[in-house]
Amino acid sequence: MKPRSGSSVLRLALPIKVLIQRFAFLFLILAAFALMLLSKAETSAIEKVSSVVVDIFAPLMDGLSQPAAAISDGVHAVRQLANIHAENDRLRRENARLLAWQEASRRLMAQNQALMALLDYKPDPRAKYIAARVIGDSGGAFVRSMLINAGSRDGLVKGQAAMTGQGLAGRVIAVGLRSARILLITDINSRVPVIVQSSRDRAILAGDNSRLPRLAFLPSNAFVNSGDIIVTSGHGGIFPAGLPVGRVSKSDDGTVRVNPFVQFEKLEFVRVIDYVSVSPETSEKSGPEAAALE
Amino acid sequence: MNPSLSQRLDLLARNVLPAMLGVFLVLLSTIPFYIPGYGPMAANLVLMAVFYWAVHRPDLLSPFTVFLIGLLQDILVGMPPGMNAFVLLLVRTIAVSQGRVFRGRSFIILWWGFGMVAMASAFVVWGLSAVYVFSLIDPLPGLFQAGVTTALFPFLAGLFTWMQVKLLSQV
Repeated sequence: MKPRSGSSVLRLALPIKVLIQRFAFLFLILAAFALMLLSKAETSAIEKVSSVVVDIFAPLMDGLSQPAAAISDGVHAVRQLANIHAENDRLRRENARLLAWQEASRRLMAQNQALMALLDYKPDPRAKYIAARVIGDSGGAFVRSMLINAGSRDGLVKGQAAMTGQGLAGRVIAVGLRSARILLITDINSRVPVIVQSSRDRAILAGDNSRLPRLAFLPSNAFVNSGDIIVTSGHGGIFPAGLPVGRVSKSDDGTVRVNPFVQFEKLEFVRVIDYVSVSPETSEKSGPEAAALE
Repeated sequence: MNPSLSQRLDLLARNVLPAMLGVFLVLLSTIPFYIPGYGPMAANLVLMAVFYWAVHRPDLLSPFTVFLIGLLQDILVGMPPGMNAFVLLLVRTIAVSQGRVFRGRSFIILWWGFGMVAMASAFVVWGLSAVYVFSLIDPLPGLFQAGVTTALFPFLAGLFTWMQVKLLSQV
């Protein structure tokens, strides 16, 4: 009798096992969709859990990315060695030109200070910089973001601007304890208030996942030329005004696009600008201003 | 006779090998390589691993494990959480159900099958991303990524086969 009961248990267990597996699969599919919906609704719990997960893996990614960075630096050094003479020549000429500019700038600074004293002008608060290393490049085809190895313990807050020596790279969109995610200005979700430096025309720099973000909401009477420099406008109060973004590059279909100064594929370090926390009065002021803008 | 502790630990290590490999590949595919144009079209290493192990050893890669690996990839890459988890679950289901077609046959057939799956999953990710951001996005980067992933599949599959033969043959 015993073996028979055993086999009947088996006969019963097998469909149950299959049923559980089927059910688990369905449950997981539903869970995946539920998570997508919750994150679309910008649920803070999802954001918090994501930040914790990134924090856990950040040291590992930091360690893994070191050899890649070392190899990249090595290749770069060898390449530089090859044209060191030409580079030296170029730098000498540039140095001579810059010395002339330095002289001009000193003169203008003195003049500027004198005029500011005359007008009793209140200068923008000085921003603090936080340097961080890029530890995660986006491996997704439809997202443009990166992870850096600095977080809330270093003073990072959502919304801060991330810069390189060349220009604006993006803004902080998620902060963990020791890591943060930067949404690049080329991402489809990125919108940055900017102005054309020469004409002072306002616009919104809108990413679309391509290498060259669009210049949207440009006034119809605005006159922009290829090569015009685009800088942040400071509207909204999160980004300081005047951060260099890129140069206008008109495309064939008539849309005005911007060629960013930052070379995203070579991004190794970024500086995050701590602008909000340094200037409480600016952030307070930015509230109604930002609302009026919208 | 009960197996000794070291034997049990050894068995456990071998059993979790595909899952650990999946996590490692997630990390490897998210770190920066500083190669121009590499980021957006980097090969999807995780997709290769899930497909391979689902065909050859589905017992070592449960749907739940695949879900977690996909979720980790979503979180580290910065994609909407759940998107890769969903796609990898689909890939696993297809690979398991078609396992008999691929196992023990020439590698070309497995490669061809993977190419199809990679292309299809690129379309699914593109479709879901477009719905998620509620605008029409260019599908080309995704298709290009699927192409690169398919082209590199033989190298990773070779490595996986070596692992399967050397490390998992007794499990």
